[in-house]
Amino acid sequence: MNKFGFLFLSAALVTLPVRGMAAYEGGDVKDGGSISGAVKFKGSAPAPKKLDVSKDKEVCAKTSKTDPSLIVNGGNLVNAVVTITDIKKGKKIELKKVTLDQNGCEYKPHVLAFPAGTTVEILNPDGILHNVHSYSKVNSPFNQAQPKFKKTLNVKIEKPEAIELKCDVHGWMQGWLVATESPYFAVTDSSGNFKLTDVPAGSYTVEVWHEKLGKSSQKVTVKAKEEAKVTFEVAGK
Amino acid sequence: MAERGIDKQEEKKSYGSVFLIGIALLVVLTGWSFWDDNITRRPWKAMQARFYHLDYGKAKAAYDEENKKLQADAAYQELSKKLAAAQASLSGGALGQKLASLEKQESAATVRFNDIDQEVKNIKSELEEAWYEHDHAVQQKRNVKPYLERIKELDKEKEKLDPELEKARQKRELIKEEIKTIRNSAKEIEIELGKLAAERDKWVRVMENVTLKLGPFSFYKIPKIEQVSLDEFDRNNFDQPVARVDRCQTCHLAINRPGFEKEANPFKTHPKREIFLGDNAHPPGKFGCTGCHEGQGVAVNSAKHAHGEVHLWEFPLLRGAKSQSSCTSCHLDVQKFETEAPLLAQGQRLFEQIGCTGCHLVKGYENLPKIAPSLRKISAKVDPSWMVRWIENPHKFRPRARMPNFDLKQDDAVAIAAFLWSLAKEEGDKWAQEHPLPAGFREGNAGQVAKGKKLVETIGCKGCHGLAEGEFSTPLGKEKDLVPNLKDIASKTSAQWTYHWIRNPRGYSPDTNMPSLRLTDDEAMAMTNYLMTLGAKPEAMAGIEEKLADAKNIKRGETLVRRWGCYGCHEIKGLEKESRIGAELTTFGSKPKEELFFGNRTDIKETWDDWTYNKLKTPRIYATERIEQLMPQFNLADDDIKALRVLLGGFRERKVGQRYQADQGLRVQQVVDGRRIMQQYNCVGCHEIEKRGGFIRKYYKENPNLAPPVLNGQGEKVQSNWFFNFLKAPIPIRPWLEARMPTFGLSDEHANQLVSYFNGLAKVDIPYAYVDDKKIPQEHLEAARVLVSKDYFNCFSCHQQGERKPEGPVEGWAPDLALARQRLNPKWIIKWLQDPQKVEPGTKMPSFYPGGPDNILGGKDDRQIEALRDYLMSIGRGAPAAVTAEVAKAKPARR
Repeated sequence: MNKFGFLFLSAALVTLPVRGMAAYEGGDVKDGGSISGAVKFKGSAPAPKKLDVSKDKEVCAKTSKTDPSLIVNGGNLVNAVVTITDIKKGKKIELKKVTLDQNGCEYKPHVLAFPAGTTVEILNPDGILHNVHSYSKVNSPFNQAQPKFKKTLNVKIEKPEAIELKCDVHGWMQGWLVATESPYFAVTDSSGNFKLTDVPAGSYTVEVWHEKLGKSSQKVTVKAKEEAKVTFEVAGK
Repeated sequence: MAERGIDKQEEKKSYGSVFLIGIALLVVLTGWSFWDDNITRRPWKAMQARFYHLDYGKAKAAYDEENKKLQADAAYQELSKKLAAAQASLSGGALGQKLASLEKQESAATVRFNDIDQEVKNIKSELEEAWYEHDHAVQQKRNVKPYLERIKELDKEKEKLDPELEKARQKRELIKEEIKTIRNSAKEIEIELGKLAAERDKWVRVMENVTLKLGPFSFYKIPKIEQVSLDEFDRNNFDQPVARVDRCQTCHLAINRPGFEKEANPFKTHPKREIFLGDNAHPPGKFGCTGCHEGQGVAVNSAKHAHGEVHLWEFPLLRGAKSQSSCTSCHLDVQKFETEAPLLAQGQRLFEQIGCTGCHLVKGYENLPKIAPSLRKISAKVDPSWMVRWIENPHKFRPRARMPNFDLKQDDAVAIAAFLWSLAKEEGDKWAQEHPLPAGFREGNAGQVAKGKKLVETIGCKGCHGLAEGEFSTPLGKEKDLVPNLKDIASKTSAQWTYHWIRNPRGYSPDTNMPSLRLTDDEAMAMTNYLMTLGAKPEAMAGIEEKLADAKNIKRGETLVRRWGCYGCHEIKGLEKESRIGAELTTFGSKPKEELFFGNRTDIKETWDDWTYNKLKTPRIYATERIEQLMPQFNLADDDIKALRVLLGGFRERKVGQRYQADQGLRVQQVVDGRRIMQQYNCVGCHEIEKRGGFIRKYYKENPNLAPPVLNGQGEKVQSNWFFNFLKAPIPIRPWLEARMPTFGLSDEHANQLVSYFNGLAKVDIPYAYVDDKKIPQEHLEAARVLVSKDYFNCFSCHQQGERKPEGPVEGWAPDLALARQRLNPKWIIKWLQDPQKVEPGTKMPSFYPGGPDNILGGKDDRQIEALRDYLMSIGRGAPAAVTAEVAKAKPARR
């Protein structure tokens, strides 16, 4: 490649990621408000489906398992991810190590959210072979074996994306890593509630994402030091 | 009185005005001739001037930008200051004085050295002389003593001078070294600065390139013709190699320079420049432009002339995608250029598979098999009324059918059907008698229909056939299917035929491409029952039986079959050896437009492109009252017509010089031949090969693991002898797949060609592998036994090993490792274990490396991988070489 090409390419390489990163700017937030609420499930909640643990039963079948991909508790949706999609400035992104446990042949938590750039520590206390197979499209996909002797495995998720994880050894194992662009994210808890804190006053688009039910969003206005209440309604499919 | 001969009056006349006019005229004429020569008749000069202006402007802007960055760069500024300081101290101050005195010393030392050196040289030549005298005396048998003395004397002198010379040299070097050290302090800074400013200063070179300096003035360079001579590129009429001259880059100055992608032509960069013009592709200095794009390479005086878009120039410019036509001049394998020349690849596939070669002869395409079904026993297969309607217009029944529409009247269709029926009747009836429907068949039985539906949808039929409106697997073109859609199959044929056909296709038609899925009787019955629910029996034509038996019809049918050349695509008893009815197309691409018959069409532009496009779009468009045209209507999509046109454009029989040719060796030929076989059997319907195909995968989006395997790189993966046997008699490798690898009944030749094809694609040079068990270290086997065990990699958690089956549902299983010894290439196993995702993106097989256990084989990943390979190659010891089709028939145990 001659020098022109090199210049052109390197210019392209330099400008692209910079633009991507410029999307969110972290800093100190004074007098931030918060957004809290619940994600309601519209329609009749499906009965929890029992998973068939057909392999490595002595380890995996210690606890009975139900399909975690759609859990509704008291009319609220569990394991939905709430994010602010259009926030450009706000609190600092803190990259802490987060942990995903495969104890008893299921992913705990089922949905793990964190800001992009975070390293996920994946634990295998089961003493049998697992493999962590990512179905990512934005980040480069991986499929790592985690045999008995490898108690922890670290993977860094560089770019924002909701990534499905599967274990090919244990067909029922399935979970999600959700890497977000900003530090404003929450996974609805076991009663379907969430809270986003330290949000600078302003008007934002808040989005809820669920692995089975997709995305929906609404506008929310946050006032300084006040709590904005939001309720999402997500229809079952 | 006037003097004789002198006319005083005349003398007094002034011719000044005449001279003035003459001079003025001369000046004007000189000016005009200069203008005409340089401007009027050399428009390319103005073009080049425009380009220099553009190039300079762009470089200047880039320079300014880089310069601005440097000015803002603290490191650069600091270094510049340092350099200025260093230079100042060199030109004045103590250091400067020292340098000046050193330089003086250096020149004195040099003079001294040269003096001594000269003296030594003189002595040497005197020595030469003395030796000559000495030798002369020896030959004349005179006394040599005085000569020897002289030599001794000279040697002494030289010995005395030698150390002096060395001393003088050392002194000079020392001084030089000292000067260098002083100067270097500045030089090093200069180099550092140069590195920082490299991005900026390269633009200076660009600006210098287009300018000419004359003292304080600078001008744009004087334009000149940029010419490439392609020696021995063409051949003349006497078949002698001749050069081709190509001056396109006189105007297309930035064709091979990045940075001009957004300019308008002629100053635009070539699209995908690095792919097309790269050093290992077609550097313009070697291939010129006309090699691919045609046009009139020598012409420079107008775009129209240069592009060859003038009267009687036979090869007008091939713009954009049309230039793909030229690939065939030098490349034998063009389908590998799926991304670079997609139209050509598609055009060739279409040409080979839609039946063009049934009627048209083209060199290189002579031996393609007939693409349509054999009609030897047609009477046993189809409904007679259906047959007549099909012949009349096949697209009415199946718009995406390959068979073209001959636009026949119903009588003619009846006559053709009658002739074909009469030929087939005897053999067809005999076959039907010998192949009755089995007793257990209950037409319309709901249980059988449901079972059949499930089988048809899962066993692999959909790798080739569509079963509903708009459903298809391998597209032949935008609007054509390679394999028939079966949505109305019951209106075409009977349960009896269908049953025996799917049970054993070659039992009905020995040369068919339709494979056997090794169906059991029950499976075949169920599937037949389901297929017979697709479509309804057609309404019978009145008196069809009599019409087909009518001797007059039969006789007329034969004439019609011969006229339309039906045997080009179908096997017809008695007409197997008839020759093609269409024109030979070997040199069609180089036909000048004058040789193309436009009939009475004045609305079509008289170019090769327009003629060909319209011919393919409406094949009989040029027919006139007197001149009939036979080519039938294929109903191709516009994109496909353009693809075919690109291929046809390349039918030129151009003999391009050897040095321009791409590799056309045996291996390339094997890939081309093997790919044809691969396409003939439609392997890409189920498997992705060469990053194309695997069309069945669209039905497995939910769980891609259940789709047939991807075969990119297959040649590298499996051992050739195993692969050959597998192709001849497939065995289930992945018991969790519901789709079955069919038995194609390949001849040894075809199976071999397929193996060579995959080997050629993967560039496998040694297709066989030998495992010497004696050479496998015991240490490896022991280590690997630990590695594969439950506490480590737990391989058999998913992999089958002979009769030892994994736990859990069969969908979670992985291939039988006992097969590895015969099946897998040991080198591939290493690659696979190093990084399975790299070999096969998306595979279920996880990466175990890097990161093997520390306590085995010294924790060395490489050694562990080798140990695993040795283990895998050893565990299948003694297994039978090939498993017969009978074993494959048994369905895997399902949960």
